Amino acid sequence: MSSLKNNKLLAIIFIAVIVVVLAIAYKPASPPQRLIIATTTSTVDTGLLDYLKPYFDSMFNADMTWLYLGTGQALEVASRGDADILLVHDRAREDAFVSSGNGTLRVTVMYNDFVIIGPQNDPAGARGTNATEAMVKIAQAGASGNAVFVSRGDNSGTNALEKRLWTKAGVSASGTWYVSTGSGMAPTIRVANEKGGYTISDRGSFHKLRSTMNTTLSLVIICENDTSLLNPYGIILLNSTKYPNINSDLATDFLLFMVSREGQSLIGNFTVDGKQLFFPIYGRPESIGLPPESATAEYLNSLLRSKGLE
Amino acid sequence: MGGFEIILDGFARALQILSSGDQEILGITLLSLRVSLTATLLGAAFGIPLGFLIARKDFHGRSVVTTIINTLMGLPPVVVGLVVYLFLSASGPLGFLSLLYTPEAMILAQMILTFPIVCGITISSILSLSPKLKETLASLSAPPSWEAMVLLNESRLGLITALIAAFGAAISEVGAIMMVGGNLLGYTRALTTAIMLYTNMGEFATAIALGIILLLIAFGVNLFLTYLQMRSRVRRTT
Repeated sequence: MSSLKNNKLLAIIFIAVIVVVLAIAYKPASPPQRLIIATTTSTVDTGLLDYLKPYFDSMFNADMTWLYLGTGQALEVASRGDADILLVHDRAREDAFVSSGNGTLRVTVMYNDFVIIGPQNDPAGARGTNATEAMVKIAQAGASGNAVFVSRGDNSGTNALEKRLWTKAGVSASGTWYVSTGSGMAPTIRVANEKGGYTISDRGSFHKLRSTMNTTLSLVIICENDTSLLNPYGIILLNSTKYPNINSDLATDFLLFMVSREGQSLIGNFTVDGKQLFFPIYGRPESIGLPPESATAEYLNSLLRSKGLE
Repeated sequence: MGGFEIILDGFARALQILSSGDQEILGITLLSLRVSLTATLLGAAFGIPLGFLIARKDFHGRSVVTTIINTLMGLPPVVVGLVVYLFLSASGPLGFLSLLYTPEAMILAQMILTFPIVCGITISSILSLSPKLKETLASLSAPPSWEAMVLLNESRLGLITALIAAFGAAISEVGAIMMVGGNLLGYTRALTTAIMLYTNMGEFATAIALGIILLLIAFGVNLFLTYLQMRSRVRRTT
């Protein structure tokens, strides 16, 4: 009896030791070239980076990884030297980042647009207006207790756009109708969905969430196709003199990949449920009303040619 | 899909993942185990000796120290993560170590969480030993190392509880390893951080499936620890 018990104990200890040894000895395969992109939630939530990864990895013998952050946190982390490159969407802060010496080059690579979403019955009557008017109507309906606006409240690019729209609308957004989630795009849409409220999302994140949540997501697009809702994404190369430990060669490769003909067409071919979510725009930002970037493009084109990428 | 269907769907996904041996999820699971087990063992390696010393030495301010350690048992993981991140960041004081976004950084952060848990429970288990035992040991004028062995052996039930609590805190925590690990796929993505990512992406069923896998491995580890505990209890009463 007692020897049987001992055998059982031995067996259990044996299994436990094997599990511990396996767990401790396990090291994830680590190819030499790891690239860390600090990016915004929308490029991850939509699955764009997952889609681009195998192409980039095989072309450059790289292992592309990313930090899933809002634009505000992404810029902060990169400014401490804790990422190799930035892919974000808040032009004002991107330019400030570069001009303060943290970055050496910024280029617009793609865009999509923001949409104001809200409940189907549109209690604020914001449908059919432009973005600024829509914000005014939502604020008015909110003040009279008929609508709720759900904000990211996390200093992200989307949050920055929302604040610009409130300023344009001349509304000070506060009160019980104004809810701040402090979290990413998808969680914020879900809060708006539960509360039957309005929010602003990039079209990609909203579309992706609708395809995963199906009918449980009852919010619809209330306002779209307004130039003030344009959402351009920029890539920033970090200053390798200031941050000597970052992988700046591979970071440059990633930038060139994204602006190359192949990268641009991959971005354009990425779809969720048959719908294109990002539009390549490298080299011609003026065509959507953004300032031209011809000097940067000329420099990058020469790099592309020298690397045989184009 | 209603809430209940998503949870059922999550169970189905968990079975599917477990039966297919998905490489990515296997890697994530093994990383979680490796980080949290190592953090628990390291936390114990420091926490048990220190807890023993605090419980045995009658020094000035002992209750203050004990109170501090008991408070630290409730350290918010995200604050630990932020502080460890700031230290390990390339512009932080320990940036030269290049530990940021590595499993070792995750172990360090979790160890800061497990250490006070093990230490605090060790203090209370040693203090709650029968005074008679301590008197007997004192009257035998046993060498300190022998005395320590006897007292630690007598409080083994409590010490195993300490390991269970510490491992539970480590394996379930997300805030600290998210900050210092960065949730990088193939490097530092653990079960809890993957659950958070899938939740954010609206893929609830996968998130639930990973939650079930997390519970299963926590159950496996606790099965072993509880078995040890039960065995030592039986031996003590005979």
